Amino acid sequence: MKNIMVCMKQVLDPEAPLSLFKIDAAAKQAVLPKATPPVLSPFDENALEAALKIKDTQPATVSVISLGKKLVRTVVKAPLAAGADQLFLLEDEIFSDFDSCLTAASLAAAIRKIGAFDLILCGIQAADTNAGQVGTGIACLLGIPCITCARKVELNGDRIRVEKIMPDGFDVIDSALPAVVTTSYEAGTLREPGVEAFMSANKKPLTVWNAQQIGMDKSRSGPAAFLKMEQTAHNIKCEMLEGAGPAEQTLQLVGKMKDAGVF
Amino acid sequence: MSILTSGYPGISGFILFWFLFAVALTLFVQRVYFNICLIKKGRPENRFDRLFYRLKRALSLILTQSGNLKSLTFKDPAALGHTLMFWGLILFSLAYVIFIGLGAGMGLFSVYNGSTFERVSFSILDLAAFLVIISILWVIIKRYIIRPERLARPQNAEEKITQALLLTVILVLMVLHYLIAGTGYALYAAPGDWPPVGSALAGWFAGSAITLTSLETLFTSLWWVNYLLLLGVLIYAPRSKHLHPLASFFNLAFQSLEPKGSLRPVDLNKPETIGVSRVQDFTWKQLLDLGACTWCGHCHMVCPARLSGKELSPRELVLDLREHLFKSGPALFKNSLSTVSAVPVDGEKGLQTDAAQKPLTGSVISEEAIWSCTTCRACQETCPVSIEHIDKIIDFRRHLQMIQTTETARDVLKNLRVRGNPWRGTINARTDWAEGMGIKIAGEDRNIDVLFWVGCTEALEDRSLKIARAVARLMQEAGVNFGILGEEEMCCGDPARRFGAEHIYQMLALNNIQLLQGYNIKKIVTACPHCYNTLKNEYPQLGGRFEVVHHTQFLAGLIKNEQIRLNGNIRKIVSYQDPCYLGRFNDIFDSPRQILQNIPGIETVEMAQNQNNAFCCGGGGGRMWLEEKTGQRISEMRLKQANETRAEALVTACPFCLQMFEDAARAAEGESILPVMDIAELAAASLETSVKRPETAGSNING
Repeated sequence: MKNIMVCMKQVLDPEAPLSLFKIDAAAKQAVLPKATPPVLSPFDENALEAALKIKDTQPATVSVISLGKKLVRTVVKAPLAAGADQLFLLEDEIFSDFDSCLTAASLAAAIRKIGAFDLILCGIQAADTNAGQVGTGIACLLGIPCITCARKVELNGDRIRVEKIMPDGFDVIDSALPAVVTTSYEAGTLREPGVEAFMSANKKPLTVWNAQQIGMDKSRSGPAAFLKMEQTAHNIKCEMLEGAGPAEQTLQLVGKMKDAGVF
Repeated sequence: MSILTSGYPGISGFILFWFLFAVALTLFVQRVYFNICLIKKGRPENRFDRLFYRLKRALSLILTQSGNLKSLTFKDPAALGHTLMFWGLILFSLAYVIFIGLGAGMGLFSVYNGSTFERVSFSILDLAAFLVIISILWVIIKRYIIRPERLARPQNAEEKITQALLLTVILVLMVLHYLIAGTGYALYAAPGDWPPVGSALAGWFAGSAITLTSLETLFTSLWWVNYLLLLGVLIYAPRSKHLHPLASFFNLAFQSLEPKGSLRPVDLNKPETIGVSRVQDFTWKQLLDLGACTWCGHCHMVCPARLSGKELSPRELVLDLREHLFKSGPALFKNSLSTVSAVPVDGEKGLQTDAAQKPLTGSVISEEAIWSCTTCRACQETCPVSIEHIDKIIDFRRHLQMIQTTETARDVLKNLRVRGNPWRGTINARTDWAEGMGIKIAGEDRNIDVLFWVGCTEALEDRSLKIARAVARLMQEAGVNFGILGEEEMCCGDPARRFGAEHIYQMLALNNIQLLQGYNIKKIVTACPHCYNTLKNEYPQLGGRFEVVHHTQFLAGLIKNEQIRLNGNIRKIVSYQDPCYLGRFNDIFDSPRQILQNIPGIETVEMAQNQNNAFCCGGGGGRMWLEEKTGQRISEMRLKQANETRAEALVTACPFCLQMFEDAARAAEGESILPVMDIAELAAASLETSVKRPETAGSNING
């Protein structure tokens, strides 16, 4: 039986209305809107779907790992309803300061601690930072191959066959296990749970570790640091052209664009 | 009529009579028992509460024929024909018991022979037979010659034979009544004027060349033919698929007594009992429904899905399921009832077993038909025997959604599960509409008398924000001390529940109930009939009991109490669209009309189909979020009906109707486009200053 690990991040809902988005410039953090729940990064949902598709064809254990502070249980437990077998939550105050490198290190440490693994799946990037470094980081730290941007992952015995998206089509890559694969949205939308899976999500094993338990601590700081976080303001001014007809209005428009230095 | 007292070759008339009767009765009871066992193959469901009330109501419905007569129109007077036939046959049944059973069968012939009782009874039967003959001829002309859409459907040979046979037998029985009376009176009674037809015929027989012996033989033969036909009916009726005369009474008695707008609850911890895939997954009451259908086709004629060219027809749904039940039913018994004769349908047992195991979706009913239903309730409202179509369709959806995890509506349901609203991609936050209005948020200020339940559509969908603002403006004007839940409000769950995703519905509903109870909310005003129906009729199933009123009721109350006064600056002729979940489901027809009456300058014209018969906008049952791929758009059909009136604007009280009609209006190229608005928007537009506010405004308002 193969052990598949899927790393999933809780992010601010990328589809939340703009008026709800606030940042705390001093803390260099986005403020969670009070009643609007976060979601799982959609790319990570594609990774979970890829894992579940493998599980559809052969016996496999799918373990999901999420890292962050204040993980909303109803949100991070969704993978269990969708069909994952167990959930590991890495939850600690200090994780909010972690950059991609430290996140990858923490996840790699947790994966080692869990034990046997054959395939590690991550989304191509997180939907909030769009950094796209954690998957490759984990592969690097564990010293195993990494294939990015997958649209299809097949597992045959001790090898995987991955279709990797290229600008002009796709490459087919064959690799030994264990390996890390990062998935794009083409890997498929995450299935919706049926009622049995939905109801059984709360009965599946859930493990929570803090930073210390996976050997991470405050003293470790990442090589990259946030300098500034700010919310851009869009000031849109609408002006109606008064001209008598289309010809006149066009001339006015050209004049205004000239004044504005567009040309 | 001494038919039975005289012996027949080798046997007494009495013994022959009662022997044949015993045989027929045994066959009748055996088959009825089989049908009961077949229905009991369905899942359990408790419909035995308030039994006395149920029986009383069913009896009154049957005797007054009111279920039937409600669909009586000048264009389609069939209900009248049914009433004639029903009462005619009831009188005949009584007469059969009295004159054949008790009279001839018990040898009491001499007691009533020549009595006034007999003459009066036979006179009544003369009239009854005439009316039944008229109605039978009416049926024959309608079913075989005119063949209106309502009744026309492809039938197999067996159905054709059953129908023709029953009609013929009834017709023959009526003619036999006249002939038996005629010959009987000619033989045994003094000449007279009553019964009119019987006496006239008697006079004719007496004056004819027929000898007395021949007349006696004719009389005896007619009597026996009459009697044998009756026993034949007793044996055949329960064996045919035309169970309607037997099943209707029980179907009316066991109809749901729950609020019309509440779906059957589901125990999520028992997945094996969720939804319907095979025929035995229905409850016994749902199977009884199938037997009660008489294919009168009224549902077929009012269903917006059917009329707009979708695959669904409520009539075909029920009849196809019935066909399947009888085909696969015997296989459900396996060993337990092998002694009872199987229905003579396809014959081979193997086929039947397959049929019983086969999923209904895709074979008996298409998936498209299941998703075409707008749950508008027009079919149930018109059905004379109270068949419950919506529960069946939702049960199909429940299986598809929760067990099979279909792709249909996946995006909406995921958005409901993850974000608590059905409007994925909205750019509005739940309180954006209220900006600058100074509206209290329940989480921040508990001192409120009334909670304004805004609803996802009014809070998140651009056009509908205006409804929320209009309702809030009117309540502020009236001095109502109200608040909203703001960002904490989640979808009421109506779309999830109607899509069959009960688990998502319960998740949302339980969350809302907890929230409302936490804030100690007593009274809720909703601006959406779907929220209204769910909060009022469905939340009690999950323990949430609140006083819920719709904004039309609330505003009508404010106007009546003179807490708001509307002036007359709107000169418009408007037509009002009854939203299904406000009207048919919750009987709120008057409040919106009262509001319109109280806006000076507004003249209301009704569309041809209004109130209980209103035509759906096409947006209910989750259809709001599904593409309408087949046939016409329901919303365009209804908008056209509105355009046929003198109305200059279409007014509604539901954000779904509003959106469906605005979309339809946009699509109506070249035609005059009717503006569409919510009744609250119209009221807010004509708002003047309110009259003096009472000190405790808000707490004493009963919407």
